[in-house]
Amino acid sequence: MSITKLKFLRLIGACTLAGLTTGAAAGPKHDLYMCVLLSGQGQVMGGRPPALSGVYRSTDRLTAEHVGFGHIRMFTVIADPRAADGLYLTALNGVVHSPDRGKTWHILTGWDMTEPKGIALDPHAPDHIYAGLPDGIAMSRDRGQTWQRMNAGIRRSYTHTITVDRTQAGRVLAGTELGIFLTEDGARTWRLVQATDDVTYDLRQSPHDPKAFLAVTASDGALWSADAGRTWRRIEGVPTTHTLHNGDFDPADARRLVLCGWEAGVQVSEDGGRTWSDRTAGLPNRQVWSVAVDPDQPARLYAAPYLQPVYVSDDFGRTWRPLFFEKATVYGISFVARP
Amino acid sequence: MNPAAATMKHFRLTFFAAFYFAALTAQAQPSFTAPAPTPTVVEDAANRRAAYAARVQEVVTWRAGLAKPGDPATLGIAEIAAKLSLRQDAEVCSAQLIELLKTPAGDMFWMFPVTAVSYLGRDQLTPAAKTAVREAWRTYMPLRGDTENHWAMYYTSLYLMAQLWPGEAGDRWFNGKSSQENFTEARDYLIHWMTLATTIGQGEYDCTHYIGEYSIPMLYLATWAADPAMQQRGHMMLDYVMADYVAETLNGIYVGSHARTDDTTVREKWNGLASFFGWLMLGNCPPTAAYGGWGTYFAIVAKNYELPEVIYRMGTDRAGTYTHFERKRTRHRWRYSEVRNPPVYKTTYVTKDYAVGSDQGGLLQPIQQHSWDVTWAVPDPRGVHNTIFSTQPYFGPRELMMYFTEMPDFMPAAVTFQGKPTYISEAKLLGGSPYEQIFQQDDTVVSLSDVPAGTNFEQVNGFFSKDLARLEEDASGWIFAQGGHAYLAYRPLAGYDWQPIDGGGQRLRSPHGKNGTLVQAAAESEFKSWEEFKAAIRALPLELKLAPTPAVKFTTLRGKKIECVYGAAPRVDGRAIDYAKQWKLFSGPYLNAEVGSGRLTMTHGKLKRVLDFNTLTITDAVMP
Repeated sequence: MSITKLKFLRLIGACTLAGLTTGAAAGPKHDLYMCVLLSGQGQVMGGRPPALSGVYRSTDRLTAEHVGFGHIRMFTVIADPRAADGLYLTALNGVVHSPDRGKTWHILTGWDMTEPKGIALDPHAPDHIYAGLPDGIAMSRDRGQTWQRMNAGIRRSYTHTITVDRTQAGRVLAGTELGIFLTEDGARTWRLVQATDDVTYDLRQSPHDPKAFLAVTASDGALWSADAGRTWRRIEGVPTTHTLHNGDFDPADARRLVLCGWEAGVQVSEDGGRTWSDRTAGLPNRQVWSVAVDPDQPARLYAAPYLQPVYVSDDFGRTWRPLFFEKATVYGISFVARP
Repeated sequence: MNPAAATMKHFRLTFFAAFYFAALTAQAQPSFTAPAPTPTVVEDAANRRAAYAARVQEVVTWRAGLAKPGDPATLGIAEIAAKLSLRQDAEVCSAQLIELLKTPAGDMFWMFPVTAVSYLGRDQLTPAAKTAVREAWRTYMPLRGDTENHWAMYYTSLYLMAQLWPGEAGDRWFNGKSSQENFTEARDYLIHWMTLATTIGQGEYDCTHYIGEYSIPMLYLATWAADPAMQQRGHMMLDYVMADYVAETLNGIYVGSHARTDDTTVREKWNGLASFFGWLMLGNCPPTAAYGGWGTYFAIVAKNYELPEVIYRMGTDRAGTYTHFERKRTRHRWRYSEVRNPPVYKTTYVTKDYAVGSDQGGLLQPIQQHSWDVTWAVPDPRGVHNTIFSTQPYFGPRELMMYFTEMPDFMPAAVTFQGKPTYISEAKLLGGSPYEQIFQQDDTVVSLSDVPAGTNFEQVNGFFSKDLARLEEDASGWIFAQGGHAYLAYRPLAGYDWQPIDGGGQRLRSPHGKNGTLVQAAAESEFKSWEEFKAAIRALPLELKLAPTPAVKFTTLRGKKIECVYGAAPRVDGRAIDYAKQWKLFSGPYLNAEVGSGRLTMTHGKLKRVLDFNTLTITDAVMP
């Protein structure tokens, strides 16, 4: 794409943003964070990366700035509710905290906890952090200063995703290799609420209905719970033959959901999950690693096809245009409320 | 590829290799270009030590000499380390180090070279250079990696640098942890790893390259750890790693099964970093090009280590044929396994002419596993493919998901861009398979495979070297071959054809899911003639079955009746093999250790050394 064309697209994007944002001068209420690998398929640990991977932040939805250190494996960024500028990050090196929006970083976990993927804080006890590890679940009750293993009873405990029920302290759902587990006592005990053949890769609680949860899996498609994760049913119309990577609710519209996966492309529902449409047309491939709904701009979707730019859609996936990067693998897209 | 294209490719490779080696040898690596050493036993300890010191000096001098005066581009971290080791050009090294530290990269592979330079340069580097090093460790966050060799390098470096800069707060370190926190974490990891390795076996075991990534950190601990206990641990683990390696060498070449090797070394067995250690420690093989690359980082402080005589003699002074047994463990399994590190059971049979080594088959390590081979002795191993083996070529996301925490679908193709180009090829010669079961009795190997329909790939690949002296397809179904002074009888269980291999040799392609390989090795000297060997093999009782599952009943050349049925425990002379009960951590004439003991006994003749990690003691004895 030529520079002139790129500038034109950015100008269009800026105009769109200005038009969509209430009180345009204030800008979005959230910062967009992306955990990105920019070195392509050949990058190995110990090599000199040809591009700067790591966490990128966009405050204006037009440009993305690199934040912190340049690692090739970072997974998700969430807010630290105890500090206005605080962030938690899961990365290959562990659970990492920044007190200053990414200027400095502190690894919270030790040698015995590697490659956490999922992370969640308990809104009723913001000092409590749960982390999903390849060998189980870790919990900290002191903002990451100390950690305990808390996956007793979970057999084959690979845990990729973890989410805290915002309605009840200590109520947590974990997506593991063999299914979805639930604790109601702060991870002291777990029970399997939904068996799966393979890994559950994402778990989300609806922002509209706290009893509604969405899960996406490696081989069981997408699952839905209407009773706060106690029971689950398979969502019809969603591919089950491919690995689904993640899903999201539109915070502005309870009817809208999105999910994505490898060869599954982007799938959306605009009727609360009853029916689903393929909205991959316009993306360069169907190997979509991550999707997210912008909390500040209704109907705005981001999708990250494998080794491609991050694309944006302002009509919930009907049309797409490239926005960030040229050749990215995006492990996670998240939004953090601006301080 | 048509023959003309193949010829051109071979020509290009040969030309490139010649050019590459010519460029390196222009920098005078005497032992790399000299005639291969004749394996000898240096009896006199002082002479042995002097020869070792001369080899160390050769490496360091060569590396330091790569730096050209006035050309900073030729002065990398390795050259700086070599020069500081020789106490040369500290000012120039300091200035260039400052430049290099402006763009740090390489993660744990950056950490240990910079650690070495920091320690070697404590009384040589300029204050500005020391400040640059300190600042780099504040601002550059290395990846800690995802496997044990990464963690050995990462935590050894972190331990030593936290020791170098004690009492500093978290804001002085890349990871936000204080010197004390880093020191404690690194120490705890290192002790944890040493305990695992010495009780249930090393993971990433017996690698033809990664032996360096363990031995170099251990040497650094032995050299620079201020805590006498950690210094002792480093020394003992270095003995341990060296003994583990030497017991499975043939003239310095690492033989048999490896957790990790690569597409080159799997054929040219000498051409791995391990052979650098064979040359350096045993003096019985040539070093690899550029002293294995990482060899420099060992050599710069190698004067602080001396291979114990008992290990030296294990590698150079063998009374005769022996069988060596080991128990190792798999890489960490994150998914699809009830056990984090299932055991690996190894058998290695070594004669003066050849060695036969194997594991039990299965997926024990992703991508680069090598499960069995026969390696024969050659006077000069450079460029020689002195091995024969077969593999069940398998790949898939399940293997990768088991051992990595990545998402599944992109990985098989991505791996081929990460230095493992053959991973998804049906012609691959590298890698384990969940559908392969291997059993070895003495110098007989039976490998059976039962690959489900539709799996990549329903096939067995046999490697037949360009350097075989004989190769005959016999009407009996046996394929007879000779490599060096080893006679080889190879029996494919199913039909096959021959495919050329880039770089020479042929691949026996047997495109059947129910399949297997039976190999019997022997020494040329056991027979009056080649014909007599073939007749002896033909006369051995043999029953082969492919359905319902592959099975072999065979009476070996050594008179053992072995029965192998895919999915069942092998039987020898009617008794079932129980790996869990029979395989110790080490057992054989030279190394012995019980599972869980943390105690390794090395013996050679009257010499005995015991490494006891429970008490951190080394006990040497000369037996009556």
